[in-house]
Amino acid sequence: MMESNSGPQEAGRCGSRLRILAIGRNPKRTLVRAVVLAMACVAFFKLALLPVRVDGISMMPAYADHSFNFINRLPYLCHEPRRGDVVGVRLNPPVGWSPPHIMFLKRVVGLPGEGVSFVKGRVRVNGRLLDEPYEKWPCDWNTAPVTLGPREYFVVGDNRTMPKEQHTFGKTDRSRIVGKALL
Amino acid sequence: MKWTRLLLFATFAALGVWAWVALHPSPEEIIRKQLQGVARAVSFGPGEGYLAKLAGAERLADFFSTNVEVRLDVPGRQEHTLASREEIQQEALAARAAAGSLSVTFPDVAVVVDAGGASAVADLTLQAKVGGQPDLIVQEMKFTLRKINSQWLIVKVETLRTLS
Repeated sequence: MMESNSGPQEAGRCGSRLRILAIGRNPKRTLVRAVVLAMACVAFFKLALLPVRVDGISMMPAYADHSFNFINRLPYLCHEPRRGDVVGVRLNPPVGWSPPHIMFLKRVVGLPGEGVSFVKGRVRVNGRLLDEPYEKWPCDWNTAPVTLGPREYFVVGDNRTMPKEQHTFGKTDRSRIVGKALL
Repeated sequence: MKWTRLLLFATFAALGVWAWVALHPSPEEIIRKQLQGVARAVSFGPGEGYLAKLAGAERLADFFSTNVEVRLDVPGRQEHTLASREEIQQEALAARAAAGSLSVTFPDVAVVVDAGGASAVADLTLQAKVGGQPDLIVQEMKFTLRKINSQWLIVKVETLRTLS
């Protein structure tokens, strides 16, 4: 008799435990928590940490083609972009806080007020050679010095093996810098 | 019961707002739809017949004013200018003959309508994928539109240099 009763009771207890594990003791409260968590996740990944897929070779070898990354918008709430930062640059002027769908991934080499040029493939800032450990492949670019305005930054990709006409680089306004690459 | 009524009221209010917005779109919304139409008209798939190519090119030309000005200056390529709707149609036909397929989208569009509501400027990002080419093409562009006979038509298209 004992044996025949313990089977259904055990199954019932197990089902109850599973139910509690899945939807909690109070399903309404669990639903509210799940909705709040989902909304927080959507807001966080839409506004603060933007998931991006790198498309192209201009940031190789640091960032491979088709690799995955995040653009973190939070650091530049505390400080301005720094030299060497890899940043997401939006293509069209910003409208509010809305994130763009497409960005250029570039490295900051020139800061506001500086003069930036390429001489025999090396970046010179105010005439002085910039140490770039991330640039692995040499190039032969030469450009005239560009003087940056008070809110302008000079950005360029790490991979400069192509002719400079085929590489998108130059100065950009601070408002177009979306955030810093996380990885 | 009270909550159910409140929820029902909120649902109806939201539906009402949605219906109002859908039936009375703002000029910005109309222009956005127009630009998505342009992207669809520029795009074409592989194996398109001659009549389909012709119809596609004509459909594209309908979005532009007769004296439209198109200036394309893409880094690494020669500057290209088109000065009429007919030239756009011919260019679209030539592109359809030359490339296997083309997929164009405008993922980021910012529209500003002037105070009088007669003209507007749309800053957008063009994303294009040409059949057979591995890389995506992305380009910042600016479209100027004017309301002509109660229809928004493109009067000027120019490429912009994001980094200069």
